[in-house]
Amino acid sequence: MSSKESCRNELRTAICQLSDRCLYSAAKWAAEQLVGIEQDPAKFTPSHTRFQLGSSSIRRRFRTNEIASTPTAGVSSVSTPMLEEDEAIDGDFYLLAKSYFDCREYRRAAHVLRDQTRKKAVFLRCYALYLAGEKRKEEEMIELEGPLGKSDAVNHELVYLERELSMLRKNGTVDPFGLYLYGLVLNKKGSENLARTVLVESVNSYPWNWNAWTELQSLCTTIDILNSLNLNYHWMKDFFLANAYQELRMHNESLGKYEYLQGTFSFSNYIQAQIAKAQYSLREFEQVEVIFEELLRNDPYRVEDMDMYSNVLYAKECFSTLSYLAHRVFLTDKYRPESCFIIGNYYSLKGQHEKSVVYFRRALKLNKNYLSAWTLMGHEYVEMKNTPAAVDAYRRAVDINPCDYRAWYGLGQAYEMMGMPYYALHYFRKSVFLQPNDSRLWIAMGQCYETDQLQMLEDAIKCYKRAANCNDTEAIALHQIAKLSKDLKRSEEAAFYYKKDLERMEAEEREGPNLVEALLFLATYYKSQKRFEEAEIYCTRLLDYTGPEKETAKSLLRGMRKAQSGFSSIDIEHLPP
Amino acid sequence: MAAMLKPPGNFSVTPHKVSVCIVLQIYAPPAQITLPFPFPFSSIAQHNRLGMFLLALTKSCDDIFEPKLDELITQLREIGGELDHWLSDHLTCRLSSLSSPDDLFNFFSDLRGILAGPDSGVVVDDQIILDSNSNLGVFLRRCILAFNLLSFEGVCHLLTNIGTYCKEALSSCPTYELPHLDDSSNEVEALLVYENMDLENFVFDKVTEETEARKMASEKVSFHIHAPKALFGLIEDIEVSAELKFKHREKTGEASSFAHHMKDTLRGIDPNGGIFLRTNWQIQGYLCEQADAIEKHSCSFPLNAFESILRQLQKLAPELHRVHFLRYLNNLYHNDYPASLENLHCYFDYSAGAEGFDFVQPTSSASNSFGRYEIALLCLGMMHFHFGHPKQALEVLTEAVRVSQQQSNDTCLAYTLAAICNLLSAIGISSTTEILGSSYGPVTSIGTSLSIQQQLFVLLRRSLKRADGLKLKRLVASNRLAMAKFGLTHVQRPLLSFGPKASMKLKTCPVNVCKELRLSSHLISEFSTESSIMITDGVFSTAWLKNLQKPMGSLVLSLENASGANSNAFHFCAQPNSIPGSVLQLLGSSYLLRATAWEIYGSAPLARINALVYATCFSNASSSADVALAYTKLIQHLAVFKGHREAFAALKLVEEKFCSISKSRILLLKLQLLHERALHLGHLKLAQQVCDELGVLASSVTGVDMELKTEASLRHARTLLAANQFGQAAAVAHSLFCMCYKFNLQVENATVLLLLAEIHKKSGNAVLGLPYALASLSFCQSFNLDLLKASATLTLAELWLSLGSNHAERASILVQGALPMILGHGGLELRSRAYIAEAKCYLSNPSFSVFENSEVVLDPLRQATEELEILEYHELAAEAFYLIAMVFDKLGQLEEREEAAASFMKHVKALENPQNEQDPLFNIH
Repeated sequence: MSSKESCRNELRTAICQLSDRCLYSAAKWAAEQLVGIEQDPAKFTPSHTRFQLGSSSIRRRFRTNEIASTPTAGVSSVSTPMLEEDEAIDGDFYLLAKSYFDCREYRRAAHVLRDQTRKKAVFLRCYALYLAGEKRKEEEMIELEGPLGKSDAVNHELVYLERELSMLRKNGTVDPFGLYLYGLVLNKKGSENLARTVLVESVNSYPWNWNAWTELQSLCTTIDILNSLNLNYHWMKDFFLANAYQELRMHNESLGKYEYLQGTFSFSNYIQAQIAKAQYSLREFEQVEVIFEELLRNDPYRVEDMDMYSNVLYAKECFSTLSYLAHRVFLTDKYRPESCFIIGNYYSLKGQHEKSVVYFRRALKLNKNYLSAWTLMGHEYVEMKNTPAAVDAYRRAVDINPCDYRAWYGLGQAYEMMGMPYYALHYFRKSVFLQPNDSRLWIAMGQCYETDQLQMLEDAIKCYKRAANCNDTEAIALHQIAKLSKDLKRSEEAAFYYKKDLERMEAEEREGPNLVEALLFLATYYKSQKRFEEAEIYCTRLLDYTGPEKETAKSLLRGMRKAQSGFSSIDIEHLPP
Repeated sequence: MAAMLKPPGNFSVTPHKVSVCIVLQIYAPPAQITLPFPFPFSSIAQHNRLGMFLLALTKSCDDIFEPKLDELITQLREIGGELDHWLSDHLTCRLSSLSSPDDLFNFFSDLRGILAGPDSGVVVDDQIILDSNSNLGVFLRRCILAFNLLSFEGVCHLLTNIGTYCKEALSSCPTYELPHLDDSSNEVEALLVYENMDLENFVFDKVTEETEARKMASEKVSFHIHAPKALFGLIEDIEVSAELKFKHREKTGEASSFAHHMKDTLRGIDPNGGIFLRTNWQIQGYLCEQADAIEKHSCSFPLNAFESILRQLQKLAPELHRVHFLRYLNNLYHNDYPASLENLHCYFDYSAGAEGFDFVQPTSSASNSFGRYEIALLCLGMMHFHFGHPKQALEVLTEAVRVSQQQSNDTCLAYTLAAICNLLSAIGISSTTEILGSSYGPVTSIGTSLSIQQQLFVLLRRSLKRADGLKLKRLVASNRLAMAKFGLTHVQRPLLSFGPKASMKLKTCPVNVCKELRLSSHLISEFSTESSIMITDGVFSTAWLKNLQKPMGSLVLSLENASGANSNAFHFCAQPNSIPGSVLQLLGSSYLLRATAWEIYGSAPLARINALVYATCFSNASSSADVALAYTKLIQHLAVFKGHREAFAALKLVEEKFCSISKSRILLLKLQLLHERALHLGHLKLAQQVCDELGVLASSVTGVDMELKTEASLRHARTLLAANQFGQAAAVAHSLFCMCYKFNLQVENATVLLLLAEIHKKSGNAVLGLPYALASLSFCQSFNLDLLKASATLTLAELWLSLGSNHAERASILVQGALPMILGHGGLELRSRAYIAEAKCYLSNPSFSVFENSEVVLDPLRQATEELEILEYHELAAEAFYLIAMVFDKLGQLEEREEAAASFMKHVKALENPQNEQDPLFNIH
């Protein structure tokens, strides 16, 4: 990785260039990273450093392997943003166009630039046209809610833009920004392969445009595609890879990348949020919570990613914190989908499912591709016993992203609730296929196989075995395998699993009916195997518990004593318990 | 969150309707305003013709597809006569003059002037008044109303649409490339377009070569296919030059007519090109129609082309979930298991089965909060059945029974039971426990003491009763068919195994079968009076198209010498009639079942007649697989009675007709014929090869494709027999018998036993063969297999004969007894075998003297040789000629003897060196 100073310089220039081209969100992202670089304490007043000190504390707490001071992993292909055109001779028209653009008068901006031929002007014109088309599309979507309930609204500028930009590319008179726009247009039009090529060209020649990277990331749907990309090395590529890994559900790889990046960008809120996201997927809720607390302290008006924080709070049942968060985002920006989502989560936690649905719906109105809102709305409908609606909501989530195992799982659950376990199996299969290391999914599928209607116990055992192999935190699987083996009259297997379960419960110091059951079975099993010593141990342990099992244990013990004392152990009649 | 469906019958203003209004204005110019154009018509007839044309246009405006401007203009030219240029120019002028929303407002308010108001007492002399209640008037009023309901945004959209509508016609330059269809018929289509180029008058003279080329490339010009035909069909007195074009279409056959249709559809819903979305109702109708088409044509339906249409539809109308169902159907019939599974689940997830599933009557508990997931289960079960997963299918259907009981959806329950019956009768089940889990509700509840067949019978009766009670007429009919099918091959035994045993004749009951069959066809009389229950409205608006899609040419093959002339008689099938297609289909299958029944009972003429009835009357309404089955039966009949040459000729015709459709059925027939012929000619290697191919067609799952499996191993045994490998042949036949016994295939058992008897006869072990022949006879008796019985009797006689001359008398009596049946219904082979056996009986009878009565022997032998020559059955022919030669030898007629001996020689040689024969028929293979 290049030195911090060079990163800083690169970013500073990039921010100017990006905002000059009205690529505001990319500029915002770059600026966030710029501030995220650890300042050189010698150059700045203590007040500055104090501002950043808070964040480093949490970093220390959670970083297990401190990365040694930024080794150079490769040579960047591009060192500093090039200034291909003299900024000074920015035409007056450009200034006018940009100010129109800033006032969201896109068509007007494009019109002003109609005769300009310089790359920058051409880009801005095309970009303004694109945005104008998008805006019109959104409007038409509402106007055209015609007889089919849905419109065929398209961005009418796409055709023109595609033609124009492909011509420019052919002539070689297109800058990386133009390439980015071209990639965007191609992606919208569905020619994904070309879009990928164009975007790779764009990021290779100008890596600081985060928008281009995210667009490229959305086109990398499998790891193979990702690996086949021909990307030059630059530190921005690490950001890209980390993000792409995350979307491909390779959380540990992604986490590694982010931790590496933190070596340079140690105060970046973005990186922290992304780490939180990865940890969330790995179900490390404690860590996620700490990170978010920190984030909110530094950046109290942040709304991005707060939906995930609300999920964590929901899972940990922190009523007041969640309500505080909801209130805060509500005051910050009421009409963000995230805000509505958080409020929905809050109501759900309070058990007010109808209200919760209202807010999830609002979130979906604002962003109809909001995946987790669809899924959570499905959960709410399940709670409200409105299974058809739940099924519908889950299915929408699945259609947005067919890799969303939660929604598949939800579908399976909904059908199981309706008494259609065989039908539900299809969905459970899907969900375990996508998330094969999640014991909860395997257990749910096992339970489905176990239902009264299906009674496919063999398959159920197979599922539980899978669950037991992938770190079943709730320790259901082992017990179920043991029980089912017992029901299937395979006592040897049953004894093996009961013993395992027992060991586990001992290790976790858990008590309960499962423990008693295991002890009782083991005692009887060993007795029937004539291994009286082991049987006695289990029986004596059973004596510590109250209830009918105690009596059974007593009688077992009595029987064994009789068998051992005096009489030959062969012809002894077992006492009925 | 159920899908929000807009009420049906949405009438929206489209550019096409605007042009119709413009033409209307020409037809009936407003009185008050001074005409912006002179009254153009030179004669009343011309004026009337335009009126008829307009009537047709307004009637077809509910179509899913609206014609484009250039198509409309072409039609206008055809009816306009000398006015043509004026009409089309005026139309385009008017359209292009609509350049601002205000123009549209003015246009529509002008339109009001055409209508005769209630106060229009004063009528100018030659003014044409449009009655506001007439067809045209109502159309106009609807247009005006729809326009007035539009919001300003709507008006703007209409304006833009008109712009594109005109621009397309003017420049013919597609702004977007049409999504490329990877359909093989594309090339055909392109060719076709090319051929038609000269027939099409381009609207604008200034069409440059470049645009022509583009037009061809984009294949957008195939406009002469549907809608225009619908129109012309209505107006009888207009002679259309389009006739010429129709011929082109017919030639290309079904596949390309689909392609045309596809293209039209694409155009209809192509968002970038024409953009005229239809109402929800119309799309639903279109989808229903397509669903029927898929079921009818199964594999031949173009998968990818239709898939791309559906994908587009889905993009445009994500709330229209039936699209998923169509995708499911499409994938199902193309045997894509994962995709069909996915789409089926998707469809029911979205709509909860509530979006107009056809057989669910609207009256039954419509607002069921549960949704109709039991239907999802039913469909899933049938899908598994289709893919040959009997185990899964049963599991799912069981769940369906349970859920529909829970939801008290009796209709679904009845259908599910029927589906289970179908499943049980179609797959071979050796015992309940093997295939059914303990959870299997409907069957196990009856009691485990019953055999699976008895359980099926009980299930059938219950299902029939339930359907009858619910007044599901179609289901009743199909249940009756299932009953008939069951009765055909099963002996009824008393269900109770205790109590006083009534004396039972253990026989199948043909009377019952006939009764069920007749009752099932009563269905049609109920539909001829009653208005159809099906949701036809959506479909009906597309009936105009449907009408014409039907290939007008002869559907019935001129198998026999039936000329193509009488095929025109079946045009009536193409007219939309009040009897729903599904009813016709059911009725048709009753005829098909009749044919099968007669085949089993052994009446060849009746079987043939029923198959013919089916092929002529029902082939339009039924699925291609069924039609293929009927043709198969006819060809098999030909092969048996007319020899293989004719059968192969007919097969060739059928293969052309079905090109790729239902490959398996036709392929099976072909293999059967090839095998038969190879055996006759002594091509044993080829026979074995064909036999192996036949075996591969069957699925590997136990219990599935039983029919095919028995067929394959039966033929295997026969091949071995022909190769004189008796031990192996007997082993194969034996294991086949065991399998048939295990799966309760009694009718097949009779055949297998007969084959075993043959094997022993040929191996010279007549004594061993006798019990098999007798067993086969008794099977035939109890299943009423008359023809097979005759053939078994013949074998029995042959066995007796080979035991020595002292049994000749007995053999003779047996042969004489079987002769009437054999001569009446038997095929060439059986007849000649009977002739030979008869002659042999005489010859080996010591009391028979050749010198006294030579004709008694020679006559049947001559008959036999004639028939065997047709069949090219060398082995038997050689035997017959040998016998003839011997007789002549005894009679001392040396010349005739030499002749017969030479023929004998020829056949024996042919049998020994089968390779030498260059047979063109084998090259088909």
